[in-house]
Amino acid sequence: MGQGLEKGSVRYSVQVVIIGGGATGVGILRDLSLRGISALLIEQGDLAHGTSSRFHGLLHSGARYAVKDPISAAECIQENAILKRIAPNCLVSTGGWFVQMPGDETDYVEAWLQGCQEANIPVREIPVQEALEQEPLLAKDVLRVFEVPDAAVDGFKLVWDNAKSARRHGGRYLTYHRVNEVLRDGERVAGVQGENLLTGEPFTVESLMVVNATGAWADRVAATAGASLDVVCDKGVLLAFNRRLFQRVINRLRSPGDGDIFVPHETITIFGTTSERVDTPLDHQPTDREVQRLLDVGETLLPGIAGKRLIRAFAGVRPLHREDRELTGASGEGEGREVSRTFALIDHEVEEGIKGFLSVVGGKFTTYRLMAEKASDWVAGKLGETAPCRTAEEPLLPALSERLRRKALALLPCAAAEKMLERLGQEAVAVLETIREDPGKGQLLCECEMVTVAEVEKAVADPDAHHLADVRRKTRLGMGTCQGAFCTYRALPLMWREGEKYDPLGRELIRFLNQRWKGIRPILWGEQLRETEFTRAIYAGLLDLQDKGTTTE
Amino acid sequence: MWDGLVIGGGIAGLMAGIRAQERGKRVLIVSVGTGSLAFASGVLDFGRVELLRQEEKHPYVLLGETAEKAFSYFLQCCPSHHGVWGRTGMALTPLGTLRAADLLPEGLDASPLTHANRIVLVVPEGLKDFFPEVVKANLQKQFISSTIQLKRLRIEEFVDWQAVGKPIPDTVYAKFWCSEQGRETLKNLIGEMTRKMVSDSETLVFPGLHVAACPEVEKILAQAPLPVVEMTSFPPSAAGQVLYDRLRGRFKALGGELLIGSGVERVEVESGQARRAIVKSKGKEISFTAKAFVLATGGFFGRGIVASSTEVRETVFGLPLYVPPEWSESSFLGAQPYAYTGVEVDHSLRPCDPVTGKVLLENVFVVGRMLAHWDPWVGHCGGGVSLTSGFLAGGLL
Repeated sequence: MGQGLEKGSVRYSVQVVIIGGGATGVGILRDLSLRGISALLIEQGDLAHGTSSRFHGLLHSGARYAVKDPISAAECIQENAILKRIAPNCLVSTGGWFVQMPGDETDYVEAWLQGCQEANIPVREIPVQEALEQEPLLAKDVLRVFEVPDAAVDGFKLVWDNAKSARRHGGRYLTYHRVNEVLRDGERVAGVQGENLLTGEPFTVESLMVVNATGAWADRVAATAGASLDVVCDKGVLLAFNRRLFQRVINRLRSPGDGDIFVPHETITIFGTTSERVDTPLDHQPTDREVQRLLDVGETLLPGIAGKRLIRAFAGVRPLHREDRELTGASGEGEGREVSRTFALIDHEVEEGIKGFLSVVGGKFTTYRLMAEKASDWVAGKLGETAPCRTAEEPLLPALSERLRRKALALLPCAAAEKMLERLGQEAVAVLETIREDPGKGQLLCECEMVTVAEVEKAVADPDAHHLADVRRKTRLGMGTCQGAFCTYRALPLMWREGEKYDPLGRELIRFLNQRWKGIRPILWGEQLRETEFTRAIYAGLLDLQDKGTTTE
Repeated sequence: MWDGLVIGGGIAGLMAGIRAQERGKRVLIVSVGTGSLAFASGVLDFGRVELLRQEEKHPYVLLGETAEKAFSYFLQCCPSHHGVWGRTGMALTPLGTLRAADLLPEGLDASPLTHANRIVLVVPEGLKDFFPEVVKANLQKQFISSTIQLKRLRIEEFVDWQAVGKPIPDTVYAKFWCSEQGRETLKNLIGEMTRKMVSDSETLVFPGLHVAACPEVEKILAQAPLPVVEMTSFPPSAAGQVLYDRLRGRFKALGGELLIGSGVERVEVESGQARRAIVKSKGKEISFTAKAFVLATGGFFGRGIVASSTEVRETVFGLPLYVPPEWSESSFLGAQPYAYTGVEVDHSLRPCDPVTGKVLLENVFVVGRMLAHWDPWVGHCGGGVSLTSGFLAGGLL
């Protein structure tokens, strides 16, 4: 993609630079690309490595916000319906329940039902007896149960599918590229400059506009252009259990608080979350105290929760836009206005006279597409482009043919075939062809998440994969119960075949194990402690690997 | 009344049982499972005993002097293992790198590789968790002046497995080589290699063979004009299983009794002496009285110690444990504090109160991974501590 070296710096030229490869950033990339506007996205790590994957993976119905935040509630239910249409392979329509427990405020239920009705969120009450039959682990003293259209969403998949769709329409992205500075040319922004973190090379992008979609990093990035933003970093801790404890999303029916959401994903369940101000987006290590607090609170919905097998704890850092700046409700005409209370578009021209620079802050994963639409409307308006937004109608991936599905089912176990099709879509064709030619590559390399050798081989060879962790985000390798005990070893020969693309394998492997370990440490007890002993026996004992001070990321 | 009741039938428990039985004692081993040997490679590490003895409270501080005796005793019990005290051998890891090894199953000694001009790596098709290209590259890196060649082996027996993409586990291959058809294939292969031999310093590297599992295969190899070096395998491993079977067989041959599948629920204690073990089997409680007991329940992995989010507990006697103030460290493969959790003991392996140092039970001996203050994956001494403590306990019953 480089357009020639100049003074040792790789240069790119494009209409719009988007900084940040989370859901919002790739959403904008796709939106602009579909409108025919040339855009380049710059991400300092891998796509979706930050907050967009460090959440519970709940596609809100909006019911959680029905009482306190009717605008969010209405946005969520609209986006919920849109995403179910355009991204069916990224989510599972599990449905969700709101569950009232003894001691939860009773008048809240009425206000909530009222709020849901106003926001057009369909609600159906489930008789308690029936609810307990369907979810036998739910606390027996539950008082009332209501069903809403919540769903489980795979953050990695959704972000990557956006990126791939954008690429099909001419959008480009660079991962492991860090922006050091937003460049100015007088009153206008002129592009960005930074460093390719894989090679150490500097790069420069010339552009007419810069969109800052860096989430919890937004204030730091804005500051490089001399702009200011008030972003608060808010850490949310989550726990992953090794199985599906519930078949649907379970929410506590009360004012939103800590530890009141369970979301089933594939073979696991994610439970969260907490809320705590932190100083930096890098502070995403869960503490023992936070984990214990979650378990204490979770006991109400799921009795015996502390005895269930945990596989890891992790945390994301939410970027909250400080509301005391009172941007809310600014004039509907002004471009610096906040489009809703859920997220803010900050036009730095209106705020501080810097032209062509927009920051997108706040918001939630469920409404990423809406944020992207609004941001793209702003960009298009500035550029005088009139093509309308198409992201609400255009599916992320083309529909799969029945023939492809049949071929997958003929070659692989049903569950493995379906999961692979969800992950890869049309790209499954190449993987299936590999398996047909060499049935050995249909072996499950990752037995927890049922990922074949052929699929991992493809992910490892993908030009976007630079570390084993990148492969994990695309394939779910290492994310199941064994947390990498078997699959890390099995991915080695595939990486080895890629030659120098990866760091020396011992180092790559130790880095990966150390990353997995970070999430295991806060829940190091019970079966996962046994698993740890086993994994250490394999890597330190059997394979005799030694960690000679490899840094963790 | 048994002379000794050993709780836990892994390597340490079996060792204790064998030695006591050999001393003419009547021993019963009660075990929930079959230990963790089948997950391990069959290679046993003693580590640097003298160096480890300098670590405060490492089990070798108490056991170190006996380690050599235990080493020799094990070789008597398991003649299919090899090793020389004080001279560390080497074995190939599943990745084809060399690792130090103190006691090696027959066939795993990798030393012939050091003076081989040509190394032929046998690639049994479809062998699970075996990556020939990586192994070849690693061998080349370590034996720079040798020529490394791959010899692919297509086995008729497994054609159906491969057609459906099913990998063939190490343990299945081991059984095949021991079969009549497998032995014939092996003879032909060795004949072919011999005919093609270009120099007299050739060595075969042969994963998944497991000569230790089969005397007939051993005979074939003994007549081969070139050395055959096996590789340790990714779990589960046939070599580990063979070691387990040997030790168990030895214990039974000496007249020992084994009860596998039901664990000891609890042990009744009277005035500082353990008296009766209660075992739950087929829905009924059975009790066994014994003069002395060995606690060989395998630490965290064996569930002899169980940790929850709020407590750490020894599961049979409820013994107080040494629990480190910090629980984990950031480097996964580095020393992990949690691993040092265990029972503190006196010089006779009797459990002590970690605070007062007072002996808590007069006739209970604690062995193997139940002992406090060691991390086998850092000290590389898992086999040594287990065998030595088991050996000592067997002498005390």
